[in-house]
Amino acid sequence: MPESIDPQRLRLADDERASGVLLGVRCLDCGVTVFGPCAFCQSCTSDRLEPVELEGTGVLYSYTVVRVPPAGWPGPVPYVLGQVELPEGPQVLAEVIDCEHDQLKIGMLVELALQAVASEGGTEEKLVYKWRPAHPDD
Amino acid sequence: MNQMPQGREVVVAGVGLHPFGRFPEKDLATLAMEAVLPALEDAGVRWKDIPVAYFGHVYYQGMSVGETALGKLGLTGIPIINVENACSSGSTAFWQAYWGVTTGLYDLALAFGAEKVPRGPVTVTAEDSPDRFIGGDHMMAGYALRMRRYMEDTGAPASALAQVAVKARQNGTLNPFAHRNTTYTIEEVLESRPIADPLTLYQCCPTSEGAAAAVLCARESLGRYGIDESRTVGIAAAVLSSGSYNGRGSDHSAFSPYRTEPGAIQAYEMAGMGPEDVDLVQVHDAATIGELQQLESLHLTPFGEAWRATTEGRTSLTGDIPTNTDGGLLAMGHPFGATGIRQVHETVTQLRGEAGQRQVPGATVGLAQCSGAGDVTTVHILKR
Repeated sequence: MPESIDPQRLRLADDERASGVLLGVRCLDCGVTVFGPCAFCQSCTSDRLEPVELEGTGVLYSYTVVRVPPAGWPGPVPYVLGQVELPEGPQVLAEVIDCEHDQLKIGMLVELALQAVASEGGTEEKLVYKWRPAHPDD
Repeated sequence: MNQMPQGREVVVAGVGLHPFGRFPEKDLATLAMEAVLPALEDAGVRWKDIPVAYFGHVYYQGMSVGETALGKLGLTGIPIINVENACSSGSTAFWQAYWGVTTGLYDLALAFGAEKVPRGPVTVTAEDSPDRFIGGDHMMAGYALRMRRYMEDTGAPASALAQVAVKARQNGTLNPFAHRNTTYTIEEVLESRPIADPLTLYQCCPTSEGAAAAVLCARESLGRYGIDESRTVGIAAAVLSSGSYNGRGSDHSAFSPYRTEPGAIQAYEMAGMGPEDVDLVQVHDAATIGELQQLESLHLTPFGEAWRATTEGRTSLTGDIPTNTDGGLLAMGHPFGATGIRQVHETVTQLRGEAGQRQVPGATVGLAQCSGAGDVTTVHILKR
């Protein structure tokens, strides 16, 4: 199975399914939670931090359909880039998959999804975190 | 964190600009030198008198390009500092020159910048960064995220954002240094090639090549170098800031659309002025949404209302907040290292009353704001 694109931001579940959880850090002094690793609190500079697993569902804060991709982008074009706000506070940028462009709406619920991505011209695949519209009834 | 207190009064004694555009026949050092020479001439000082120089640039064009450029003028042994601070590299070089002079370290200083930006979308991270896989490392996509959210929050119509580009191009036609010198209509802006919805091509600044330079001098030392004080422009504030935690957790531009505000407050305090004193303003309009949010961060309009000021013509040359009077990044283009000093060039030109057809009548105070990755912001206020 492919490895995580960034083990400090995405921990894969220890099973055969492509599932995982986003990682963050919570400050024990000011309570702020950030996405990804940090040695010092980004808000108050404290080093009293604890690792946390972040909610897998968030709210679409904004989005764009990228039609001219940056150099090295290994995915389809166009792609949807979503800015997603998690209940703990941090926002996470990632591609939004499995969606029709005209269904996208600020405020909609999205959930974490993982997708294997090969680098441009490369053979090695990595599991990358993405968002997809959430369907709570599924 | 406030800037250190001001020392001696500092003026801009001379400015120089190489046109912005594409110049495959010139290397970076040549572009830079061709902005430095007119700046020295404009100030009326000799290269031999310059005791220090700060050079802004970003893209790798060989090591120590500042030394290579200035070496063409003769080797004088002075300290030359190469500055990389993303899109604010030039305005950071200017900031360093200001602080070098106001503190009394130097009587004179040269700030200059040049760039040859590659074509295509601009990325920020290193080539092997995971962010290249994730898809968020795309400057204009960041602006597009800001724009969609702004339109949702404020009710700004797409036509109001397009008007920013229309106005920029109109100003650019009055500026022989501009990369783009044709106008277009709101409809043409909205129907141009989509880059990252809702941003279209004409709402994104061109990537460009170009160079700009400024000579700074302590006011008390002008006589020693034979500088004509009547053409100098005073520096009332020079502020540089980086990111503060804003509750969202990254320095991506989408996360911090109003990061200029703390620097703006510092600059107004340093200048002893408020936004009501500003006669004209240059802001970082890498995309149309950038201009609107910078104007709001600078308190030149209330938050969420810069789009309305734009549609009412208040940001045009004849409005009460003339903005990006030389065409801004949208018409001038954006050679990173040069842009911040290009803004100083335009501000000085306006405050001298030498801006020709794009002159803002009676302008005495001008503000120049430049943003860069890393949540960098500069806010410089000039006063005649």
